Formats: sequence, C-alpha cells, structure tokens
Amino acid sequence: MQAVQRGDLAKLGSLFDRHHLAVFDFLARMTGSRAIAEDLVQDVFERILKYRATWRGDAPFLAWLFRIARNARADYYRRREFTAPYTEAMDGEDPAPGPEATLETESEAARLQRALLTLREDKRELIVLARYREMKYEAIAELLDVDVGTIKVRVHRALKELRDIFLNLESRLPCNVKKFPKSSRTI
Amino acid sequence: MQCEEVSEKLPDYLTGAADAATRAAIEQHLSGCATCLQEVEGLAATWHSLGTIPAPLPDSRGMRAGVDALIEREQANQARFVKARFQWNHPLVTACAATLVLAVGVVLGRASERAPAATPEVATLHQELRDLKQMVTLSLMQQQSASERLRGVSFSNQVDGSADEIVTALLDTLKHDTNVNVRLASVDALKRFAERDVVRRAAVDALDTQRSPLVQMALIDFVVETQDRGAVGALRKLSAAAPNETVRTRAAWGIKHLGVES
Repeated sequence: MQAVQRGDLAKLGSLFDRHHLAVFDFLARMTGSRAIAEDLVQDVFERILKYRATWRGDAPFLAWLFRIARNARADYYRRREFTAPYTEAMDGEDPAPGPEATLETESEAARLQRALLTLREDKRELIVLARYREMKYEAIAELLDVDVGTIKVRVHRALKELRDIFLNLESRLPCNVKKFPKSSRTI
Repeated sequence: MQCEEVSEKLPDYLTGAADAATRAAIEQHLSGCATCLQEVEGLAATWHSLGTIPAPLPDSRGMRAGVDALIEREQANQARFVKARFQWNHPLVTACAATLVLAVGVVLGRASERAPAATPEVATLHQELRDLKQMVTLSLMQQQSASERLRGVSFSNQVDGSADEIVTALLDTLKHDTNVNVRLASVDALKRFAERDVVRRAAVDALDTQRSPLVQMALIDFVVETQDRGAVGALRKLSAAAPNETVRTRAAWGIKHLGVES
C-alpha cells in the first residue's frame, strides 16, 4: 500500500491479488449476490486509488480496507434504496455441496445461508467478520468503533438469533429429518 | 464460574480465543449445568454449521482485468497531469514567457517614449495573457479529479475580474460540484465577484439548496460579508430548520449581523 501511496499504481494489482478474495467473500456473504459483490470489489479498489492519500502508514491496512468495503456496500444500497438484503442463496444457486456432502447437509447449508441473509445486516456483519473472516474481536471493535466487550455481547446475541431463525425455518419443513449435529464441547 | 460468566466468555470459547484455564472453567460449569450445556451446544453447532456454507467463488480474472484497466486509466491521468506540469516548466515555455515579457517591456518602453496613448500591441498582449489564464482555469475546473478542479477554482483568482465565463463556471461549481472542498473553494472565489447581482442571488439560492454544513456556514459568512439583506429569508429557514446545530446558530448570528431581528 505504501508503494501505491507513493505513486507506484501498478502495485494496486498486487494488493488486489492478495486481498480481493477476502473482500469478495465478505461482500458476497453480506449481499448474498456474487454479481453485486464483484461490482463492489471493483468499487473498493477504485476507492483505494482515489483515497490512497488518506491511509496512514501506521494504521492496520486490513482495517482500512474493510472500512472501505463497508462504505462501498452501504453506498451501494443507499443509492438503490434497498432496505432488505438479497434473500436468494447466492444469485439463486444453492450452495454447492462438497464431494462428501449428503443431500441433507446441502439443504441444511442452504437453509442456514437463508437464515444468515434474513438476519439484520449489522448482526450478519458481525457473524461474517468473526466466523468467515476470522477477525479477532479486537479488530472488529476497532473497525466498528465499539468496545470489545460490546462486540462480544453482540456476537453472542447475533448467533442466538441466527439459530432461532434457522430452527424456525427448519420447523417449517414437511419432515424434520435433521437438526444441527450435536457438537462436542471442544470447539 | 457462574452462568452469566459462561455466557460472557462464550464468543471467545467458540472462536478458540479463550485460554486453557477459561475453557476448563467453562467445561467444568457445563458438566453441572444442563441449561448452559444446552445453550452452548446449540450455539456451537450453529457456529460449526456456518462452515458448511461454501465460500462463494468470484470471477477473479474478470475483476483483475477491471482493476488493470483502472490502473491504466489512473496512470494515464497521472501522466497527463505530469505532462501538463512539465509543459509549464519546460525551457521552451520559459523562453517564450521571457520573450513575451521582453516584448511587453519593449512595447511599453516605446509607447512611453512616443506618446501617452495606449498602444494596440500592449492591449493585445494583455488580452492574450488574460485569455490564456482563463482557458487554463476553465479547463482545470472541468477535470475529473477533485484536486485539479480545486486548483482551477484557486487559479480563478488570477484571472481578470471581468471574466464572465469564470463567474459562470464558479457558480456552476457551487451548484453542482460533487466535492465539498471544491464547492467551499468556489464560495471563497466568488467573494471578489460579490458586487454582481447574479452572484449574490446564487449565494442566497445556495443557502436553500446546499446540504453540507461546511458550505452552508461559508455561505452564511458570504452573505454577512456582502451585507445581503435579501438572504434574510434563507437564513431564517436555516436558523429554524437546519439539521446541524452549529449551522442554526451561525444562521441566527448572520441574521443579527445583517441588522435584522431574528
């Protein structure tokens, strides 16, 4: 980033190679749309160029990057006056099952994704950052400008709510064949 | 460990961030508390199941091509900017400028020797210089980059005060520029044209239409400096309904300084 800031714009390509998957994953899970997320990733890297002078070298780059990604997403929905998240599973496709996935697991994953997209976006964001981006609570707290204790409480609540939504979706199934597997207490 | 503490430590427990002692304490509590055990198992299952949602895969090549195009465009812009700056500093331009100054000197010298009347050559040279400055200013003010538009607005101060096109461009910038800093600079630049009705009217209109508190404050100062009592209506509206408290206070101050009771 320092090179880009100094005017070596070609280095933006290296930044893209290193970080675009993380940014895309965050945006795709937040919007539920691969196409929107791809557009937003472009927007994010355009903003990096545009606002490169505002990055302070002593600040963590990832926090700055995700702040830009959050702003890009917020602006996108503001421009389109969207209030509800994209509720289809990733552009209408069911999540692709892994080679050993059973039909039950596949539909459970799809339901869980639907539950995640139904969750209010500030709560969804916490789950996405903590679970998928594996961001430490301290980093999330810095990104959202909230203290760490509050973030932990909110993550807990968001997870509870997600579980409730999921179980509610599951209870509507004609045949309630599968619940969450019992996990061992060692995570 | 109490139930509340388990609840508090659960996020760290789920992500594996809890230290060994905390984990042991939680697990000891869970072995004797069925309620907490049920909750922790349920949430842990949800946390794990989130991992079954596959990672969406992007069209990385397509996006990279877009970013490459972006880089190329920005590099081209930079090159144009550097070129423009380079041309201004180019020895040939410097030489031309020196020749121009010399020519002006010679013409002025001859003119003062011959007669007090102004010579057409001097007038022509002045006009050309003025046109050149005006052209540069207008061109900068139409650039995509906000920093270049800002330079254009600042450069407008060097253009002769009678340039109608500059005034029009500044008013247009005040009304339509997307960048707050550029709009702010245009308010400052318009001050030297404040004797014109069209500028004062535009400032009053802008008080109604601008939404940026910074620009609103600059406009309030503008109408107070120009003692434009026509702005009192707009100031009253701002002092009553502006979302920003500082703007409301400043508007009330403006009304007072225009010698009107708020």
